[in-house]
Amino acid sequence: MMQQLRTDLELADRAAIATYLQSEFPFLEDAETLSPYVGGRAAGLERLQSFQLEKYGKQRNFLDGEVSRLSPYVSRGCLTLEELRQWALKQPRSRSVEVFVFELGWRAFFHLVYGEEGDRILQDLEEPKVPMGQHQRSLPADIANGTTGIPSMDTLIQILRETGYLHNHARMYLASYVVHFRKVSWRAGADWMYSLLIDGDFASNHLSWQWVASTFSTKPYIFNRENLERYAGSVLPGDPKKGDPFNYSYEALAERLFGGAYTPEPTGRPTGQYQ
Amino acid sequence: MPQSTPSSPSLIWFNEDGLNPGHQMVKDYADAPRVYVFDVPELQRQKISKHRVQFIYEALLEIPSIQIYQGETVAVLLQLIADWAIREVVTTETPNHIIRGWQNELQRSVALTTYPDIFPVTDTTSPRRFSRYWRKHERSWLTL
Ligand SMILES: Cc1cc2nc3c(=O)[nH]c(=O)nc-3n(C[C@H](O)[C@H](O)[C@H](O)COP(=O)(O)OP(=O)(O)OC[C@H]3O[C@@H](n4cnc5c(N)ncnc54)[C@H](O)[C@@H]3O)c2cc1C
Repeated sequence: MMQQLRTDLELADRAAIATYLQSEFPFLEDAETLSPYVGGRAAGLERLQSFQLEKYGKQRNFLDGEVSRLSPYVSRGCLTLEELRQWALKQPRSRSVEVFVFELGWRAFFHLVYGEEGDRILQDLEEPKVPMGQHQRSLPADIANGTTGIPSMDTLIQILRETGYLHNHARMYLASYVVHFRKVSWRAGADWMYSLLIDGDFASNHLSWQWVASTFSTKPYIFNRENLERYAGSVLPGDPKKGDPFNYSYEALAERLFGGAYTPEPTGRPTGQYQ
Repeated sequence: MPQSTPSSPSLIWFNEDGLNPGHQMVKDYADAPRVYVFDVPELQRQKISKHRVQFIYEALLEIPSIQIYQGETVAVLLQLIADWAIREVVTTETPNHIIRGWQNELQRSVALTTYPDIFPVTDTTSPRRFSRYWRKHERSWLTL
């Protein structure tokens, strides 16, 4: 069975495109909203022009900080990694330029690993550094629906569902919440996030989930209340103090989550950067 | 059904990781028909979101003369190859194992030309830790 789709729709009329696609693909869950990410190279180039690279180095870890939001365009091939690298290196040299190129490097690294490992990246690449054998294999409905009862996590899930994009730090929080706080297998979480992201990419997505889980890194990634407030406080609604699962020191949190199987190093505070 | 029989013996097949109307492949094969297939079984199996489908569709509208199909990728392409007497399918490289699987399947029936991904640094050995990769290649990455 093959069926041809219309190509005479106006790119400017995005609501009409949404209605049309819903009729062609009735199995898609209707998104209700339009994503702010307009598809195509022209839209990507426009976004690149408005990206304030000079702020990136200082702000990239903050949910309200300046990041390019170009990943949908890069992942779908509308813009290439190499053209972004060249663009950045033609700007006045600064820490921001170097940090940006460093982050592009992460994408290339994940792709290299995927290119070599193929679909083996869908399974644990290494032994987990904390016990995960009992983790739930399917994603609980309250996570999928964004009704966990924790306003911060529900907000992140809602942003993901409504826009098809999430800030890097938000992805890390959500992945850590799913895997370590809720004890759900990283694969279930990764498949779910992959399905919702416009930039969904097995390399960057599944390997990042493995990085958070500790099957592609030396330790599990966890966050606490202090970190969440510092980097995401301005964007997220406050969570109730009572029963707050995040309001602990890292040492106490590790003890609660992993029962002594892993003890974080006492020095320094995680910046939200991959290490 | 396809509108008309193209005269080119080659067909450009876009995949979802290479939606670039300015790609060299489009310049090199200016007369070739341009095709994209929304793979319905995969969309359903992976529960791909409407936002992603719309993004891809909008990106496709930017490619002049694109023909968009839905169905099973390989079956649709083989049908077009037969209808149009295509001898070569031209496409872009991706690490995506599902798309690579389709490429391998196609290759059994037709010549496949794959344009490689352009990487800032070409190193095919992938260490397991990014810090190691970066230490080795930082200078090349930061040099124009
Ligand atoms: C759990 C989890 C899942 C993720 N899933 C995906 C995914 O499916 N697809 C995807 O493209 N990225 C994924 N990432 C990586 C990263 O979060 C996004 O690439 C980044 O947030 C995109 O936003 P941006 O374009 O504003 O990035 P910027 O900070 O502006 O960076 C510019 C570009 O560099 C690349 N990049 C930046 N940070 C990273 C990173 N940490 N890893 C890999 N590439 C990076 C992206 O191509 C990005 O567009 C994931 C990260 C985590 C923690």
